Amino acid sequence: MSLRLLKYAFNRDYAEPRWFNTPATLKESYDVVIIGAGGHGLAAAYYLATHYGIRNVAVLDKGYLGGGNTGRNTTIVRSNYLTPEGVRFYDRSVRLFESLAGELDINLFYSNRGHFTLAHNESTLRTLRWRAEVNKHHGIDSRLVGPDEVKRACPQIDLSCGGQHAIVGALYHAPGAIVRHDAVAWGYARRASQCGVEIFQHTAVTGIDVAAGRVTGVNTTRGKIKTAKVLSAVAGSTPTTLKMVGLKSPIDIVPLQACVTEPMKPWLEPIIVSGSLHVYVSQSARGELVMGAAVDPAELHATRSSLEFVTSLADQMLDLFPFLAGVKINRQWAGMADMTPDYAPVMGKTAVDGFYLDAGWGTWGFKATPVCGETMAFTVAHDTPHRLIEAFGMERFERLTMLGEKGAAAVGH
Amino acid sequence: MKQFACPVIGRRPASEFICAGSSIQGLLQNDSVAARAAIYFGDATAHVKREWWYHRPSHLWFVIARDTATDEVETIELMAACAAAPDA
Repeated sequence: MSLRLLKYAFNRDYAEPRWFNTPATLKESYDVVIIGAGGHGLAAAYYLATHYGIRNVAVLDKGYLGGGNTGRNTTIVRSNYLTPEGVRFYDRSVRLFESLAGELDINLFYSNRGHFTLAHNESTLRTLRWRAEVNKHHGIDSRLVGPDEVKRACPQIDLSCGGQHAIVGALYHAPGAIVRHDAVAWGYARRASQCGVEIFQHTAVTGIDVAAGRVTGVNTTRGKIKTAKVLSAVAGSTPTTLKMVGLKSPIDIVPLQACVTEPMKPWLEPIIVSGSLHVYVSQSARGELVMGAAVDPAELHATRSSLEFVTSLADQMLDLFPFLAGVKINRQWAGMADMTPDYAPVMGKTAVDGFYLDAGWGTWGFKATPVCGETMAFTVAHDTPHRLIEAFGMERFERLTMLGEKGAAAVGH
Repeated sequence: MKQFACPVIGRRPASEFICAGSSIQGLLQNDSVAARAAIYFGDATAHVKREWWYHRPSHLWFVIARDTATDEVETIELMAACAAAPDA
């Protein structure tokens, strides 16, 4: 038993200070109001305070801290994307992640596993080769490997996939990792809170005041706030928030479901993804297999989960790992993914002065948490988009300069 | 399993259908700027939407009015029957 724990045993009061203190009331005004206390919003608050000295910041959330997609994703971090803009952006995120536990002084359970994206046919292999070459060009450790290397890293896999869709190769991405997602939000929240950022949970935004094309304030269930800058980082609630300032976006809300099995002894070291089979799987520190698939077939603003999802995922998973047939599913859940037509995010300034958007994170947002915080803090502080997010502006849908990240963003789209 | 009670084909499981997104019938006949706005800048908030759904086994298209907050279906029409009617 550690001395610290022993000290608590003899202490009448719990001696560990609270991680984030919520003041009783909102202040009359803040320099920046961030809507959404998920990883992205809290990271932006942390970097605003630490990089730019902007500490008079409120982070509001209608639910609880990290209770949206930050706590609902499958915790995978990687940078093996397809477009140069995407690769550069996600590479920065992986690098930030690697040193984040020390910076935030919290155990993130950052576990570098290696990441295999399987190909079951020639056309997938072509896209994977393309990704590998783009990655290498930008100095990212990705390469094409044969089925034998997949088998060496994961002896339990059935390379023939039940004889239906044999594995013909894979994209191997060595930096692929899993991270404890809740801890990322908690770590950023604690540090931001220590810098003076105020976090208000269970505080819904009911309206945003705009006068002469500029943000002037935010209305909440706890009262009104005056502010000239609002950052929206609300994932599945993005269309609702945009409506408050009279904007529309190409974002559609679609549920993304995931599930975990009962815990078992560690056997799966790498992260395995199959776009053709619409599945991805990794084994968590707790021993559960964390599994996900493609998004639901139609738009829905709800976090309901369905039996169809689990049955179809189990069907595909058994093609890869037939020995899992007797393993039980422990729980399942869903998040509301804000999908964009080109599978790249929508970030930066908007047509309303002082209203900044960090959205369109669909099924690929968790891995970008640190870099989103960093680049959005820059964008809010300087009122100009960070160079890493210049390509992600909403105006690309008017200029028709989309990014085409579909081949690498997620599975089965 | 979610089911759709359709004209002609009766009650069928949702897994037999492909959702092709919000119906933008009528708008596509306008100029390209309006078409772009219709395709990329629609109202994405939760409300009752008219969507195109394709039934794979029968190759029939339906226009389904569905509440995207609750997933409840209000009306289901055959595509041909509503081709002439402009969208709400």
